[in-house]
Amino acid sequence: MGKTVIEKILQSHSEGRTEPGKIVWVDLDVRSARDFGGPNVVKNFQREYGDAPVADKEKTFFTFDLSVPACTRKYAENQQICRKFARKQGIKVFDVDKGIGSHILMEEGLASPGKTVVGTDSHLNILGAVNCFSQGMGDVDITFAFKSGKIWFEVPETMKVQLEGQIRWPATAKDLTLCILKHMGTQKAALKAVEFYGEAVENLSLAGRITLCSMETEMAGITGFIPRGKRLSSEERKEFPRLSFSPLHAERGAHYSDECTIDVHNLNPQVAVPFSPTRVQSVSELKNIHVDSGFIGSCTNGRVEDFKAAAQVLKGRKVKPGIMLKLVPATRRVYERLLQEGILEILFESGAIVSNPGCGGCAEGHIGLTGSGEVQISTGNRNFAGKQGRGEIYLASPAVVAASCVKGRIASPEDV
Amino acid sequence: MKKGKVWKYGDNVNTDVIYPGKYTYSMLEPDEMASHALEDLDPEFAKNVNPGDFIVAGRNFGCGSSREQAATCLKYAGIQAIIAKSFARIFFRNAINQGLPVIQSEEAARTIEGGEEIRIDFSKGKIRSQKGDFTFSPYPASVMEIIKAGGLIPYTKEKIKRGKLGK
Repeated sequence: MGKTVIEKILQSHSEGRTEPGKIVWVDLDVRSARDFGGPNVVKNFQREYGDAPVADKEKTFFTFDLSVPACTRKYAENQQICRKFARKQGIKVFDVDKGIGSHILMEEGLASPGKTVVGTDSHLNILGAVNCFSQGMGDVDITFAFKSGKIWFEVPETMKVQLEGQIRWPATAKDLTLCILKHMGTQKAALKAVEFYGEAVENLSLAGRITLCSMETEMAGITGFIPRGKRLSSEERKEFPRLSFSPLHAERGAHYSDECTIDVHNLNPQVAVPFSPTRVQSVSELKNIHVDSGFIGSCTNGRVEDFKAAAQVLKGRKVKPGIMLKLVPATRRVYERLLQEGILEILFESGAIVSNPGCGGCAEGHIGLTGSGEVQISTGNRNFAGKQGRGEIYLASPAVVAASCVKGRIASPEDV
Repeated sequence: MKKGKVWKYGDNVNTDVIYPGKYTYSMLEPDEMASHALEDLDPEFAKNVNPGDFIVAGRNFGCGSSREQAATCLKYAGIQAIIAKSFARIFFRNAINQGLPVIQSEEAARTIEGGEEIRIDFSKGKIRSQKGDFTFSPYPASVMEIIKAGGLIPYTKEKIKRGKLGK
């Protein structure tokens, strides 16, 4: 019997036969900790292992992306705890100037097809976008991974999702992702790896793949892969200069626990309404909803392509007075590309607030928090109650967020 | 195991309501962590929970962030075990790595009601409630070893010392 993508990767990083349901010890190519979780990893490490070295300092990293630069004393202390430990151990820190850790791992080529990566970010399985096995884990798992270079993992079953049809502007990768979330809910893909097939995903840019794979977590899945696809374009190579990206195919005769088909013909812009990413409706059903603020960024929609889509809507237009549109590029390199291509100027001219790179409002970081009663339309990935402050969060594509901030209510790019 | 009272919740109980993000940046003491457990979902929980109580919930318990405090705050609150229709993967691992038993049982999670007293027999894989008994499949052997050792780090420390951790 052939192997699915995840079975192939785990097989090459563990001993014995890999099959669904079996627990294997996985050799890790990369283990990382953030300013969230990182200080606990350091505390655990020092308590359990004292001054012992990490298993391999070349494969161990810190990435600071939540409160960047630190905006509270606690964050400042926590980042410093990690820096001191890193200096002592000789571990590289991607510090507060760099951007979202998972994206840095892709840009630096540390996460690439067939590799294994863990870290303290629940969206780390986003690295499925580059056909890499990756998991977000808790502090104890990561402490142990720092020390041993391994984790225990139950090989999941794999589900095959076939998408029928192509997506066209104003629908984008985010609308496709929300449509899939609506279909899958939190049960169909629960605890499974998912392989996506069909033109709609195979033609996605790497940024679009990142968007889809980032929300596998919201489907309660282990990770998502898009095994087939094109190599990087020259534009993408400028954004991911050290990444060697190639398709990673499942073997012939691979076994799938379930298969399903989702029709995405004629897909319109989609929005997830409070308080679940799976409560998805069409923009056309929500046009009377007033918005107070917008957010574009996060690991889901923080790439050049995302800000270009927003700029396409905002060029020559203004954010409606009184509405705060907050923009956070995923990484310093994205910021640089936006500068070089004149995109930042269009965004600035529209009246948007542009911040330095990072995660934005997720996990109560810097940008994107809301007050009671505030309605925010966001390109983030979670709209749980309390997640970004006390307000109500609607999740949408960068183009829909931009259009909504021009109109002052939820709107499609075609409405402006 | 001794009897304990059940706290019953629905589907998709996420880590933000189990342990709010704003507390995750401080390294709080166990008692203080326990005092914030579930505060955005059920403010009565932390005030009234007794050591040995159980949580029974629906699908996808513990979804959301990777914060380990979501599992540890419930452990520090005295929760003996959590029974749910299903668990989010990161939470499931965190709980096991902390030695907090998590049991997946669709039937038990559906039938057992809030406020009733139940008892769990791990060796027999049985949940005893007023509505009858429910069985659950035991953990795979390697997971059981982690729980028996009291969590991942004690389990693996010994293995690392002996150089017995796979290839």
